Amino acid sequence: MPRKRALRSILTPMSLKALKFLRGLLLLSPAFLLTGCSKVSGLGFEEGLSSVNDQSLSLWQGAWIAAGVVGVFTLILILWPAFFHRLKKDSPEFPKQTQYNIPVEVLYTIIPFIIVAVLFYFTAQKQTVITAKTDTYKHEITVEGIQWSWQFGYPAAGPDAVVTGTPAQPPVLYVPLGERVRYTITANDVIHGFWIPAFMIQIQNIPGVTNYLEFTANKLGDFPGRCNILCGRNHSQMLFTVRVVTPAQYQAYLETIKGNGA
Amino acid sequence: MTTYAERPTISDLPPLPAKKGRAFVKWVTSTDHKTIGYLYLMTSFAWFLIGGVLALLLRSELARPGMQFLSAEQYNQIFTMHGTIMLLMFATPLFVGFANVIMPLQIGAADVAFPRLNMLSYWLYLFGGLMAFAGFLSPGGAASFGWTVYVPLSNAQYSPGIGADLWLLGLAVSGIGTILGGVNFITTIFTMRAPGMTMFRMSIFSWNVLLTSILVLLAFPPLAAALLGLESDRIYGTHLFDPANGGAMLFQHLFWFFGHPEVYILALPFFGIATEILPVFSRKPIFGYKGLIAATIAIAALSVSVWAHHMYASGQVLLPFFSFMTFLIGVPTGVKFFNWIGTMWRGSVTFETPMLFVMGFLVTFLFGGLTGIILASPPLDFAVSASYFVVAHFHYVLFGTVVFAMYAGFYFWWPKMTGVMLNETLGKIHFWTLFIGFHLTFLIQHWLGIKGFPRRYADYLSTDGFTVMNMVSTVGSFLLALSMIPYFINVWISRNKPKVTTDDPWGYGSSLEWATSCPPPRHNFTSMPRIRSERPAFDLHYPHMAQKAKH
Amino acid sequence: MKTGWVLFIGLAVFYAILSVIYWQVGGEAVGITAIALSAGLALIIGFYLWFTDRRSGGVLPEDNQQGEIADSAGELGFFSPHSWWPLPVGLSIAAIGTGIIIGWWLVLMAVGTLVISIIGLVLEYERPSASVH
Repeated sequence: MPRKRALRSILTPMSLKALKFLRGLLLLSPAFLLTGCSKVSGLGFEEGLSSVNDQSLSLWQGAWIAAGVVGVFTLILILWPAFFHRLKKDSPEFPKQTQYNIPVEVLYTIIPFIIVAVLFYFTAQKQTVITAKTDTYKHEITVEGIQWSWQFGYPAAGPDAVVTGTPAQPPVLYVPLGERVRYTITANDVIHGFWIPAFMIQIQNIPGVTNYLEFTANKLGDFPGRCNILCGRNHSQMLFTVRVVTPAQYQAYLETIKGNGA
Repeated sequence: MTTYAERPTISDLPPLPAKKGRAFVKWVTSTDHKTIGYLYLMTSFAWFLIGGVLALLLRSELARPGMQFLSAEQYNQIFTMHGTIMLLMFATPLFVGFANVIMPLQIGAADVAFPRLNMLSYWLYLFGGLMAFAGFLSPGGAASFGWTVYVPLSNAQYSPGIGADLWLLGLAVSGIGTILGGVNFITTIFTMRAPGMTMFRMSIFSWNVLLTSILVLLAFPPLAAALLGLESDRIYGTHLFDPANGGAMLFQHLFWFFGHPEVYILALPFFGIATEILPVFSRKPIFGYKGLIAATIAIAALSVSVWAHHMYASGQVLLPFFSFMTFLIGVPTGVKFFNWIGTMWRGSVTFETPMLFVMGFLVTFLFGGLTGIILASPPLDFAVSASYFVVAHFHYVLFGTVVFAMYAGFYFWWPKMTGVMLNETLGKIHFWTLFIGFHLTFLIQHWLGIKGFPRRYADYLSTDGFTVMNMVSTVGSFLLALSMIPYFINVWISRNKPKVTTDDPWGYGSSLEWATSCPPPRHNFTSMPRIRSERPAFDLHYPHMAQKAKH
Repeated sequence: MKTGWVLFIGLAVFYAILSVIYWQVGGEAVGITAIALSAGLALIIGFYLWFTDRRSGGVLPEDNQQGEIADSAGELGFFSPHSWWPLPVGLSIAAIGTGIIIGWWLVLMAVGTLVISIIGLVLEYERPSASVH
């Protein structure tokens, strides 16, 4: 290949070796990324926390791996000319004035298509499961967003079983472990966002609209929840805590709030 | 008094005596697309600085938990205006500015189709922007509902005060100007090209101006409808966006029907700038010219079908349709990367400052585009939407494209616009400081969002675990701000440098603007080379390299 | 110029099909309407370009692959050298916008100045001898 000959002719044997080494390193670098993982990490999310995590986490990991491979590959391609196709002292004034290469162009159109097709396939599958409205849910909880806190209602414990929080005292949302809950999501003032980061799920509370969300919490503990749609002055204080408790504790909790009143 | 734009032109009139105020009058009554373009560039850069100062206020407040010096209401006003200014008073008019200065030169026109309408568009932009910003001077302060203006937060009940009304009408006035600009550019490109400048010999930048202008025509009217409808609700008590009538969702749909094409309006012209610079500093033509145009047309077509990917979390949109279309639109965007890489590949690449900024754009936009593919998937969007992950994503794609390509364009076309070259060393210092400052600010915000920090939060608890990440981001933002200093010094010290004497100081320019003087005469060309390819200036300067016309 | 109308009619057809698809897969009224109206806008522009192209007869110099610069020698057209009129038009529109908030009196005044300045802009070069400057 004429280019290789040109390269050899301007470099000393020593610097040629160094260049070859650098090139090899650049090619191998994606592999180094993988050496850090003995098992693939959740990349910020935890496995098994909820039925949503069961669906989304593998897609999250897969998408990041795909993005990582594509990204590193493309980054290498971008930087390659910066290192290896620079103007050299004895370059001819103009390199070959290639304007197109149909096979290459077809290839770099088709391959991204395939990648997004695969991502879409898994996306479609999982979003159907996550957004499904079933009649197999065991509990119902109402979630009303108000400026600037949350009102959680537990219809099973009667119409007065409502807990209202304040910015100073964010409310706790009690959720039974391992049992599917249907959340009825409403608001009467402005749009709010019901977001539980650890559970990889959120949905908006929209005035005039009733949204439904179903999922199962699968690990005991406290998890932060936050309003994430701008709703006015104290948007940053609209916090809540999700407390996942055993079904027995949940029933006990329902007893304590029976006589609450809104 | 008729003006002939004849070639050649010899002016034998003596220059008019310099009177005080003559320069001001010359600028204010100008009908020259170059002057109007400079007005747009300078005004939008001024807004960039103002928006940047607002950002520094936000970052300063967020560096530590607890409210330090802003109230929650002020914080909301500041990020609302930061977003509005950056998107609608900086980036969109910046496109109009570059299009104004460069496009007529590249197609061999003497000016735009409607020069006075062009100036009118500038006034509407200036006055509209000032109206929206004037909200800060009103008793209730500026608009504070986020640049996305969701209803009912933005209605009279939840956002009383004329700051909001000034914002809505200011944007409507400014939007009229943008629409008129789109009309002007399309007409110019279709009717004023020089002989031999067929559509498929036109530069990629000019093609992108055409397609961006089409998107402007499609996107700004729905915005105007949404804003004026909201204003009608606010002051006349109409119920267009009454939540009881589904008004909240109606507004989101109208807004995002504008909002998504808007981000392509912001991206495409700057992709065009990068595409102009790469061949010059690789000494090779653009790789896959026709494929690039096809990809850009595909983006323009698809961009009206993806808007609700900003609304996945509303629970009220057709997830399969929008996720499918969003994944689809990622393909032509990705294809462009390979056009850009292919242009550099096996070229003779040199790294003057414009090229350095283009590399910065490529690397940054690559990462932003990939996080966009992640967000295109509803299950993944449910995990991180409306968090700092999205803030990081859009700063990567927008700043990466608009700001890096803006500086690339400035350094590249500075000699064409002013007749002097900017200093290379200062340019490189500018680039590296900006690059490091930008990534320091925004890379960590991806992690911040994944860990659960919502967007538009003024504050967080010390127990949240967000403190260190916010600190890092704030330090980065100040470094980013400091990167302006070498640029200002550069502009200042270069102002009296000796003038460039050639048409093409970079040496290997392809498009027609490099076949006229630096700066060009009033009607752009006193003589014009024969146009037989998409690289007329290159063919003129290197006739032994000129290829037989392929397209 | 063929590329012009092909581009717009192509977009119009694409948007029309897209709006039907969106409607059929269960899309909502706002989106269907917006995409359909986008098709309409592209259609109007495309039709105008097609109809003008059909009437223009022959290839214009800019679409001629062998076009010579001399083909468009001579007067290119009229280019306004400078003009004060865009400023009052712009101020009037901004004043109407501000007047909607501040009060009807401003709107009325601004509509008046808008009409005058638009007439001024349109008729600026229609007089036999233009003004000084």
